[in-house]
Amino acid sequence: MATISFDLVSPENLIFNDEVGTIIVPGKDGDLGVLPGHTQVMSSLRPGRVMVYSEDKNLVKSFFVSGGFAEINPEKCIVLAESVVELNSLDKSSIEKEIEELGSKEDKESLEQLSIAKAKLEAVTVSFYDKI
Amino acid sequence: MPSLKDIKTQINSVGSTRKITSAMKMVAASKLRRSQEKAEAARPYSSRLEEMLSSLASSAASGEGIIKLLTGTGNDQNYIVVPVSADRGLCGGFNSSINRETFKLVKSLEGDGKNVQLIPVGKKSRDFFNRVMKDQIIESFVDLNVSSTGYESALNISNKLQEFYFDGKFDKCILVFNKFKSAISQEVTQQQLIPLDVSNSKKEEEKENSSNAIYDYEPDEETILKDLLPKNVSIQIFKVFLESDAGEQGARMAAMDNATRNAGEMIDSLTLKYNRTRQAFITKELIEIISGAESI
Repeated sequence: MATISFDLVSPENLIFNDEVGTIIVPGKDGDLGVLPGHTQVMSSLRPGRVMVYSEDKNLVKSFFVSGGFAEINPEKCIVLAESVVELNSLDKSSIEKEIEELGSKEDKESLEQLSIAKAKLEAVTVSFYDKI
Repeated sequence: MPSLKDIKTQINSVGSTRKITSAMKMVAASKLRRSQEKAEAARPYSSRLEEMLSSLASSAASGEGIIKLLTGTGNDQNYIVVPVSADRGLCGGFNSSINRETFKLVKSLEGDGKNVQLIPVGKKSRDFFNRVMKDQIIESFVDLNVSSTGYESALNISNKLQEFYFDGKFDKCILVFNKFKSAISQEVTQQQLIPLDVSNSKKEEEKENSSNAIYDYEPDEETILKDLLPKNVSIQIFKVFLESDAGEQGARMAAMDNATRNAGEMIDSLTLKYNRTRQAFITKELIEIISGAESI
């Protein structure tokens, strides 16, 4: 089993950079499972989870990204995300509070933040595979 | 002749100034290191984004909406100039060179019959342009603290600019900022932000096209481009802020180093003066005693 190099980059720094087995990326039209030897794809991302699995299919790290881009080629996968948080550092109750606060506002910016917060909540609550 | 006490006070006050300037130098040096690290850390993102953009740029025909960020409005009449200065002084010619350059640029654009508006960033340029061209300022941003707020601050300005752009308020936006060359030298640079200047990444684009133009685009090229362009504006601004921040610290470090050295020289010359005066007093007193003794 081969590995693929994975970079997770935010404007402020390089967050993750290692050789991994599989990455699941939240593409705009649906999740992309990226394995070594993946065809060349450039995709924009929706707010969602980026899951990183090791070569033996165990979950290594999971992140929440608020959108961005992914560039994939057979040897390398690069995710450019505007804001990145580690999934287990998110707190469900504080996100719910955020949604409540944003729910009453109607300007464009808070609507955008609201949809991101909702995706965040979903990312925390919906179950995922620890091993694939 | 100044009294001994006067000179002593002066020496003490220059001494405490030297303490302050040398402390500021140390602070600037450590901040500089941090700013440089930040600028370094931001590099992978912006270079990746640029690469993606240049490989996509060729596919953009002249279009409506967001694509205009790339293709321009087709006009060349209304300009927005964004001088990026620091919030604080005591950093040598850092702020004044930005203000001077911007002033020259605005005058030369106006000389060509263009309309120019200003969005100064940083207290020092806001204050300057408030004095000289108050009615041309449409917005200003101060107290950014790039090193602590980070990307957010750039995002605010980028959103504002794009709002103005799509309202048709301007056709071209030029940033004037200090490019960080090394810890002791900064270079005032102009960069066209909107519409995007892809000419400098042309070479890369050609290379890219020949080697791997076989990307699948998901959902499609246009959608990605539409996401990518606004982000690129923000990231360019962010990059400029980081450079300018690092430059500011570098300039302050150099300025404070100079000030410390000057204070040291001043103390030396004052000490010499102090000693000479003291000796002169002693000699004078001796003469008085001797001439007093002789007269008896």
